[in-house]
Amino acid sequence: MRLLLVEDYRPLRQSLTKGLREAGFAVDTTGDGKEGLWYAMGSEYDVIILDIMLPGLNGLEILKKIRSKGRKSHVLILTAKDTVEDRVAGLDLGADDYLVKPFAFEELLARVRALLRRSYRRKNPRINIEGMRIDLTTHRVWRGRQEISLTPREYALLEYLAMRAGQTVSRSDIWEHVYEFNSSASSNVVDVYIGYLRRKIELPGRPALIRTVRGRGYILGAQS
Amino acid sequence: MIRSLRSRLLVGIIGGIILLLIVFSVIIYTVIRRSLITQFDSSLASTAQMLSAAVEQDGNTIDLELDVRKMPEFQSAEGPTYYQFWVGDGTATIRSPSLGKDDLPLFEGSPDSLVFRALPIRNGRPGRAVSFKFKQKLEKHERREKNSELERDKQQPEERFLILIVARDASDLYYQLQFLRWLLIAASGGTITLSLLVAVFVVREGLRPLNLLAEDIAAISEDNLEARIPLGSMPEEIAPIVNRLNDLLARLKKLFDRERHFTADVAHELRTPLAGMRSTLEVTLHQSRNANEYQTALSDCLSITKKMQLMVNNLLILTRFEARQMTFRCERIQLAELVDSCWRSFSQRALQRNIVFENRIPAETSCESDPDSLSMVMLNLLDNAVEYTNEAGKIWATARLASSFLEISISNTGCRFSNEEASQVFDYFWRADSSRTDTGIHCGLGLALVQRIVKALYGRTIVEVQDGGIFTVRLLLAKGPAAIYP
Repeated sequence: MRLLLVEDYRPLRQSLTKGLREAGFAVDTTGDGKEGLWYAMGSEYDVIILDIMLPGLNGLEILKKIRSKGRKSHVLILTAKDTVEDRVAGLDLGADDYLVKPFAFEELLARVRALLRRSYRRKNPRINIEGMRIDLTTHRVWRGRQEISLTPREYALLEYLAMRAGQTVSRSDIWEHVYEFNSSASSNVVDVYIGYLRRKIELPGRPALIRTVRGRGYILGAQS
Repeated sequence: MIRSLRSRLLVGIIGGIILLLIVFSVIIYTVIRRSLITQFDSSLASTAQMLSAAVEQDGNTIDLELDVRKMPEFQSAEGPTYYQFWVGDGTATIRSPSLGKDDLPLFEGSPDSLVFRALPIRNGRPGRAVSFKFKQKLEKHERREKNSELERDKQQPEERFLILIVARDASDLYYQLQFLRWLLIAASGGTITLSLLVAVFVVREGLRPLNLLAEDIAAISEDNLEARIPLGSMPEEIAPIVNRLNDLLARLKKLFDRERHFTADVAHELRTPLAGMRSTLEVTLHQSRNANEYQTALSDCLSITKKMQLMVNNLLILTRFEARQMTFRCERIQLAELVDSCWRSFSQRALQRNIVFENRIPAETSCESDPDSLSMVMLNLLDNAVEYTNEAGKIWATARLASSFLEISISNTGCRFSNEEASQVFDYFWRADSSRTDTGIHCGLGLALVQRIVKALYGRTIVEVQDGGIFTVRLLLAKGPAAIYP
């Protein structure tokens, strides 16, 4: 899942980026408002974490602009101002959630996960696809009783496919949602990682979980 | 001193009414009494005149004409008129039959004059009497003209005075006067009672706007300072008070807003570094890491702590300056020396960024001021300059002595904002470029602090941006100790 973090206070930006990446998210980050808007317009982020007081362009302005352009990304606002008016202003402009600084990092993670489930319309934090169970909270995966150990990158790919289980997911979708903007990987890395993932989750003698749709992409589980 | 306005008004009104009523009643009573008594007395006097004219002489004795004696006013059983004649030597002669054997009291005035007196007459009833002293009328008989000289001498008593006392029962008069007294007392009492009721009502109605005003004021709490007391139908005496109160409320509101704004700003400014520190610590602790990562996290947290410490210190100093709780010393300061010693704290940082510092203050320039405050000002100004000067830029300090003030300027190159923006530098938490918050310990209080300190030293701070991005802060300090001790 790919996130955009726009926060001008360096220690906060750095630690959040580090923490979110360690939690398995692809994170693009900037400390400048205008740059943040440029990022938000450029890609389809799953969640945008937005500070309000920003140099260049105010967080609320960014929010207004991306909403007016019809961007569907979920937006979580970080603010040091905790008056009701401030929160209402943010939510009314189309934010999906807010957190008042200082906050617990775990809470931010939980809220980001909740927003992700919402954007893929999954209320249940456990996904079950044809005998494969994925725990979105702990990032653990089982096939039958056997727990499968995945690298963070493999897990991120599986999670994205699982969120859209039953749908055909294109390579560019995967590229957009699993890889960071500054990632040096090229697009055929997706095929490589699909290969790694297949080797870990497919069982011999059982129907394949990840199927290739020629010319269009991949599909996890039965087509819905 | 009566504290209640209502009681004061009531006492004033009622006291005034009582005083006026007493004065008027006394005047009315006196006038009516005098006219009644005069009337009574004039009737007594005419009776006395009539009696004195009716005196008949019969030798040595005198008598009254019979038809006079028979007049009904001397006969009436109730409230009769009594008379008695006295001869000059004090012998009673004729008396009215109704007197029986009693005498009327004898008193006299000068001859041919009437003297009135109030006295109790028979049965102790009140009465009034008049005394008339007159020369007895001479009755010249032919017979007496022929008499000898001796006989002539015997007729000397013809020259004697008679004193007539006429008294009349005045109980009716006194009864009328008594009635009048009671009437006046009753009327006054009634008037006072009624006016008390009216006054209570009028005063209460008159003071009602004050009560309404009090209610309006009581309804204003610290939460609704934007409320104003409606002028509406306030009487014009109270309108100025209402206007002043509303002015006061407006000032209070402004002050509260500023305080609230300031507190919100402080909270915001403290929350951001706290959030940074918390998330740095939480993310670091989330999994085990190598020593290098821990070191980075800890030094990040340390620099955040330093920044917060500085900010808290600055806030404290700022509050003290605003509340004028600082005490100042007054010493002769060598300016160039002071600026040099302040610069030492920044020379290392400046060197790293290739910034050149020139102290152009003449060595002999000195002033009388508080060295600690002035150092704090210089430290802040130089700190800002080092922070915002461009890489390989220049900072310089100058000073100029004018007739009445001393001007110290700190300038630096690399300023990227306009003169309009420059006017905001004294606002709390304003930063030229908020993205720089992460680069240093700047919290947007430095210039605000400078301005407050210079103000406390009775000086002025001026900021200007010249062409070529030269940012200058000029301090105008009044010369001499008067600057500190006004």
